[in-house]
Amino acid sequence: MNTPASFANWKIFWKRWGVLTVISVITLALIAYYYSKTPQITEAVLASTLRQSVPLVLGALCGLLGERAAVINIGIEGQMLLAAFLAFLVNVYTGNLLLGVLAGIAVGALLGLLLAFMSVTLKIDQIIGGTVINILAIGLTGYFYKVGLSAHGKLNPIPLGPLAKIPLIGPVFFNNPPITYATILLVFLVHYVLFYTPWGLRTRAVGEHPRAADTLGINVYLVRYVNVVVGGALAGLAGAYLSLEAVGSFERLMTNGRGFVALAVMIFGKWTPLGAWGAALLFGFATAMQTQLQFGGQLHIPHQFIGMLPYLLTIIVLAGFVGRARPPAADGIPYEKEG
Amino acid sequence: MRKKIFVLLALLVVAVVALSACGKQSTPTAAPSSGQQAQPTKAAQPTAAPKPTVAPTPTTAPKPTEAPKEVDCSSPDVFCVGLVTDVGQIDDKSFNQSAWEGVKMAKEKGVADKIDYIETTDAKDYANNIQLFADNGYDVIVTVGFALGQATNEMAKKYPNIKFIGVDQFQGWAINDKKDDDLPNMAGLIFHEDQAGFLAGALAAMITKTNTIAAVLGTDLVPPVVAFKEGYEAGARYINPDIKTISTYHPGGLENAFTDPEWGATTAKQAMDQGADVVFGAGGKTGNGALIEVASAAKSGKQVYCIGVDTDQWLTVPEAHACLVSSAMKLITPGVFDLVQKAKSGDFPSGNYFGETGLAPFHDFDSKIPQEVKDKLKEIRKGLLDGSIDTGYHPGG
Repeated sequence: MNTPASFANWKIFWKRWGVLTVISVITLALIAYYYSKTPQITEAVLASTLRQSVPLVLGALCGLLGERAAVINIGIEGQMLLAAFLAFLVNVYTGNLLLGVLAGIAVGALLGLLLAFMSVTLKIDQIIGGTVINILAIGLTGYFYKVGLSAHGKLNPIPLGPLAKIPLIGPVFFNNPPITYATILLVFLVHYVLFYTPWGLRTRAVGEHPRAADTLGINVYLVRYVNVVVGGALAGLAGAYLSLEAVGSFERLMTNGRGFVALAVMIFGKWTPLGAWGAALLFGFATAMQTQLQFGGQLHIPHQFIGMLPYLLTIIVLAGFVGRARPPAADGIPYEKEG
Repeated sequence: MRKKIFVLLALLVVAVVALSACGKQSTPTAAPSSGQQAQPTKAAQPTAAPKPTVAPTPTTAPKPTEAPKEVDCSSPDVFCVGLVTDVGQIDDKSFNQSAWEGVKMAKEKGVADKIDYIETTDAKDYANNIQLFADNGYDVIVTVGFALGQATNEMAKKYPNIKFIGVDQFQGWAINDKKDDDLPNMAGLIFHEDQAGFLAGALAAMITKTNTIAAVLGTDLVPPVVAFKEGYEAGARYINPDIKTISTYHPGGLENAFTDPEWGATTAKQAMDQGADVVFGAGGKTGNGALIEVASAAKSGKQVYCIGVDTDQWLTVPEAHACLVSSAMKLITPGVFDLVQKAKSGDFPSGNYFGETGLAPFHDFDSKIPQEVKDKLKEIRKGLLDGSIDTGYHPGG
């Protein structure tokens, strides 16, 4: 069976996916082991993991769409926060959850447009552009938020029929509220668009070598604009998730740095949607574990220590385990058309 | 390549700056609101003036319609009370508002002639805001919140003739022997949170069906939160020694542990997923997130309850009505009023002054709570007050 050709293929496969396969197998084995011992707790922790990962992975998708087209977006935090606030407000005044979510997405996209205008058209330093958005969001929400507004309900879990009855997988994956489902689909959708469509190829070309892309007739500015706006819409969805799905209320600064963690998640995931999802799940898992260890009460080390682990892991992983995380070559550089 | 690193570094630096700015709500953008609120004259809302019918008739009392300026607080006959909030608003339906209501009560009952407040918008302004009242000759200054403790003590040292009331501010000097640390004009209004938590825990243990109860808490860096937790667990064990209590603190620090409702909600869900059917949310907005999560589970038919904290959260978190059986309360309003009254009458108790704690009304759940549970709670409350029941929480010895 082992012809040299298939052996070589195997080697290539191993080189590319080996580490990932080993990690997955170990993870699955651990989950199976704990599930056999304490099914309820395992389900609870994994469901919590998925839930905590949602805003992170949406934020990371926003970040990587921008950076794949060479626009660094550190305004994700602000996009999320303002979107969360407006989604909440629309819900308060109309009583409609769907309208709230749409408002959140629209606000995120608008802020994306603002960022694109500053960094692509005006060619302002992109870090400054993002910071402007963050400060703007904190200021606006802090000023306009009034105590005493209450949302009309929140998005509830929708069990997906018989799928939700499967042990372990059912409660974790198939009994979630709508934005969580949407997020899982979006991860694969963005992956597909980025790596299997002409648009994705153009995006990556613009991110790596805009001059070459321009020479081939790609409209560099347009690609950047669209990516940053679509990314903003995703960050807006993350904001709507926070106020209308996860909590059902708004609070000043409720994003609590998730937009920045999303950037770490994006880098950890090496600017790929699937990688970012994995990284977001890892961060979510650490938070869920931190809670669970306190629940168990056998914790004799400060719980902050466990909270630190994902960040520590990011450093270790980036420092050599999975290899260098390489941003797109033109990342952060405004493109000046010649002529 | 090198450039990339610089960009990343820059990104990190900015992220750190922006993050820390986020946490403290002290960014320059907060300025528009602080510009409006930091000055006491502007902050004096019409609401601060008492209704004419309630207004007392001592000769020194101002007519309610008069501008506050016309009362001279530096005159010895005029008794003025000022209040400095913690970062947040006077109508926060929580600490700030409860304390302010105590001050308003003092005015309505004729104890104070003039009252006013300053809303702090930036933690750096604590001392400045207190100073504003001191400069205007106020007789009593109330500061609200653990975080203002240090600033208040420093001001108390600086102005020995002004009485200071610090809500939730434990006075460390009052329990050590060094006489030169004494601040005879400083009273900390503090509470036995462990007793309020004990009652909440006992209630939880009596209504749970699964024999598992949970607590979602702010940070253990704030002593009252720890007291609530320890009391809650002790109270539950008092009813049922075999009860399973699962409690967890927020992993963050002071800057975000009380403003992270998403974490609170997710954690409450995680607790319910493993069988907890009563959740005690004790941690500001983080706890509120937990309450709302439990309420939405209750609405979808799950048999779950939640218990609020600090004030009667039935009034502050309407979203939680579906599950909120009660709240572990600190009675700040009467505590502040008592201290203001004592400041005027001259028997001001310096040091630590314990306000009352208790459970909030059951509201809609009143008919669903059996009479024997209510009787038992009354009995426990009595036991806690006369000392026959001990919560087991004794920090620092």
